[in-house]
Amino acid sequence: MAHQAHAYHMVDPSPWPLTGAIAALLMTSGLAIWFHFHSTTLMTLGLILLLLTMYQWWRDIIREGTFQGHHTPPVQKGLRYGMILFITSEVFFFLGFFWAFYHSSLAPTPELGGCWPPTGITPLDPFEVPLLNTAVLLASGVTVTWAHHSIMEGERKQAIQSLALTILLGLYFTALQAMEYYEAPFTIADGVYGSTFFVATGFHGLHVIIGSTFLAVCLLRQIQYHFTSEHHFGFEAAAWYWHFVDVVWLFLYVSIYWWGS
Amino acid sequence: RFRHFQVSRRQISSTVRRQLVNKVPDKQKLFQESNGMPVHLKGGVGDAVLYRATMGLTVLGTAYVIYELVKAALPQKKD
Repeated sequence: MAHQAHAYHMVDPSPWPLTGAIAALLMTSGLAIWFHFHSTTLMTLGLILLLLTMYQWWRDIIREGTFQGHHTPPVQKGLRYGMILFITSEVFFFLGFFWAFYHSSLAPTPELGGCWPPTGITPLDPFEVPLLNTAVLLASGVTVTWAHHSIMEGERKQAIQSLALTILLGLYFTALQAMEYYEAPFTIADGVYGSTFFVATGFHGLHVIIGSTFLAVCLLRQIQYHFTSEHHFGFEAAAWYWHFVDVVWLFLYVSIYWWGS
Repeated sequence: RFRHFQVSRRQISSTVRRQLVNKVPDKQKLFQESNGMPVHLKGGVGDAVLYRATMGLTVLGTAYVIYELVKAALPQKKD
């Protein structure tokens, strides 16, 4: 078998970019078909294909790194750059929604009553569940840092416990937020207040779910001895993402929940 | 001899909770075998089944989306 004379990773040919692209095509076309012809078949098919692609693609990356040793220091550096760039792109994604919020709330139009919150809107009390949510996410930032130190120090049991606690806090946030959504005295259809509130907090909630899932995968990997005290980039990536989700919430809380009330 | 008793006692008390054994060395052996298989199929029969299912849905989905888009693009004949 020929051996490479460099430290980089020449990946095996893979079908997942193709299946992922087709999944994207099916989901987007499926959305249009759903809107116009009331059929959800195409969109559902796209979603299934997306899940299959994600599972197998990331499974393969774990195989390449943990089982085949392809994640050498230069390769890991590239993975770090990649994760940082991805999170940066997500920052810009949220920046847009914050722009929309400030655009509408700094100069409220006469149609809204010239005030913010607009006439007729009862905003949520920022010192009730939203404050609890803030405490929950801040605490989860502490527990994920505890988990990181546990992994680095080879403390297997503590790493599992702190990682599990982090995930539970994430799920608690999601449950609290779902309840808030259900009980809210305003909906997404309530003018620009409803739009900015639910789109910004809604996308944030989706990212909490994604982050919790990423951490859950890390928990399974930690249990299965994938991480070493020196090499655990998958966990670090999940922790970075989790801190990003926490920071976005802090901005949401201060801007929309607190200042915006 | 004393250490042997210590080990046995520890094992007896720890089987109360299921102990997961580290299978990473076995996985490393499996995925580093020189059999020319690409990583997405190297795990065994399960990989091939999942791959075929995914690719099958991909091909069917592509055909279906083209059909739906062409149907949506053509004007509906109204009597």
